[in-house]
Amino acid sequence: MPYSWKKRKNLIILLSLIFLQLILISVQVPLGEEENYFERVVFTVFSPLQHGVVSFFRGLGNFWKSYIGLHRVHKDNERLREEMFFLKQENNLLREMLKVYRTEKEISGLFSDLQKKILPARVIGIDASNVWKSLNINKGSLDGVKKNMVVLDKHGHLVGRIVDPISFREARVQMITDTESGVSVIPEAKDVPGVLIGEGNGRCKLEFILSTDTAIVEGDRLITAGFDGIYFPGIVVGHILSVVGVEGLFKIIKVEPSFKIQELDLLAIITVDSKEVF
Amino acid sequence: MKDFFWMALSIVAAFLLYTVFSKISLSLLHLINLFSLIVIYFASERGEIYGACLGTFCGLIQDSFSLGVFGVAGVSKTLMGFLAGYFAGKVNVTSLRRSFLFIFVLISMELFIWASLFTFVFSERVSTGGGLLFFQPLLTALLGSVGFYFIRKKKKSSS
Repeated sequence: MPYSWKKRKNLIILLSLIFLQLILISVQVPLGEEENYFERVVFTVFSPLQHGVVSFFRGLGNFWKSYIGLHRVHKDNERLREEMFFLKQENNLLREMLKVYRTEKEISGLFSDLQKKILPARVIGIDASNVWKSLNINKGSLDGVKKNMVVLDKHGHLVGRIVDPISFREARVQMITDTESGVSVIPEAKDVPGVLIGEGNGRCKLEFILSTDTAIVEGDRLITAGFDGIYFPGIVVGHILSVVGVEGLFKIIKVEPSFKIQELDLLAIITVDSKEVF
Repeated sequence: MKDFFWMALSIVAAFLLYTVFSKISLSLLHLINLFSLIVIYFASERGEIYGACLGTFCGLIQDSFSLGVFGVAGVSKTLMGFLAGYFAGKVNVTSLRRSFLFIFVLISMELFIWASLFTFVFSERVSTGGGLLFFQPLLTALLGSVGFYFIRKKKKSSS
């Protein structure tokens, strides 16, 4: 084959590959469209590998803890008993307080239903492009996972929601620190609703708080307001880090999310629709 | 066929190592780009078209595990794979020093293209992981040049 034709052929192949990918990128704009079929297929094929690797290493870790690290078992047991004691006390107090608004029967029914709707999951991978955007978990459609289900960390703090793609045993979670994420929030005990948007670097910003507002101060704890129809109200989201200034009509407010990315391993997926909870 | 087998195994190994790194420390993900190393190695061995196609494949795998636009990493790796194969055919990059420089330049170029495309598509700055991303070309080139050196040495001794 003549050399110049070979060079031209190679260049044509390269340009075709790039052109196809640029088409692929452009059909996904505007952002927020559903994942394309090809991406779903790749995710479905490769996510079980992630799942397998993490399960293998977790199994090794559990073997070490169970059979070799026995000296820590008694200490851990005592610590967990103490923690459970205080949690039970707290739970009883909260139930008593809730009786002001609901009957005992309604409360028992509500909590027993809620327990059935919590699906534990583990993190098996994180976003390749930005660790603050999304993560993959080891529960999928066969476990009852659906889009927009709320995801909490082991302390009950908001992490994000389930987004596409969802394969049979794996799913993706969009974190609240993603720039495309928006959560309606209010400070605890204050009636100043705003929208929490991720900054893509581990922090968030609270938007749409008027510059004339004086209620919001540093240290205020933020909880979900429930106005977005996705996150049910009352979930702890984070706290106000700083009120740095004013931009136009609104304040510039930085927020530190409550979840810690280094501790993200065990998560809770709330499998009930937010409208059904309260 | 044998080459194809080693390539597929390398991709799976890179993917698994990536998963393990993410559990050990998030910083490792910013510091080392394993998929790019695989693309560069096989592109140097098999040529620019092989490199471009492998770059597309690896880039799309990387994209499928990120939330956002599918294809951004694919474009940058396709270009990098093509250039890796093209220049490896023109210049001898088998020595340790040249291999280091070769990988360093390619990874820097890939990072620049990816960051530019990312910023253009998302209209936001790339997360540098506290500046760790800037060390990616250096560390990946170090790891890659040493790894490639030993692989080529072993291949030479076995043949």
